[in-house]
Amino acid sequence: MREMTQQDLADRVGVTRQTVIAIEQDKYSPSLETAFKVAIVLGVPLEQCFQYDPHGKR
Amino acid sequence: MAPSLSYREKSLYASLATELLVYGPFFFLHQQISLNKVAGMIIAIVVLQIILQSIIAALTRNRITDERDRLIELRGYRAGYLTLVSLMVIGLGMLWFHATVDRFPLDSRMVGLHFLSVFFGMLIIADITKTATQIVAYRRPL
Repeated sequence: MREMTQQDLADRVGVTRQTVIAIEQDKYSPSLETAFKVAIVLGVPLEQCFQYDPHGKR
Repeated sequence: MAPSLSYREKSLYASLATELLVYGPFFFLHQQISLNKVAGMIIAIVVLQIILQSIIAALTRNRITDERDRLIELRGYRAGYLTLVSLMVIGLGMLWFHATVDRFPLDSRMVGLHFLSVFFGMLIIADITKTATQIVAYRRPL
């Protein structure tokens, strides 16, 4: 089975590849809608995709 | 994977290059302003933007914009608006000052052109600030 690329994920979620990269690098916090879409596309619970760090840099 | 430029980023770089190319002489060469020159600059920027944006659109396969693009766009417009308002306040303050001390060293025929020059300059600075803010926002955490 082929691994999902950033472009694949971006296309299925409806964002740009640059936004996927920014989310991965913790440079952008997506909206709830986008976060749910990412979790659905990846087939995992939301809390497995995204965690809140109260001591984060931003 | 290294983040290449998105469609919106390419478009912004083209806009900034066009603005600097067309408006640069206005600031750095201190040319005498005239209605014809202002009209020429506006026509030049419209034509150049159409050409460059068409090329970018033709060469970019994925032209979608998303929520991050819209957020960055809003930030750019906010920065541009704040710049414009600040410059307007400063400009009006200076006008008030000159009017108060009665030292407005301009021929009455030149006052109109002077205001055209000043306010056009303010618009240009605000526009460049907007574009530059958006470009920087793409490279920094939001």
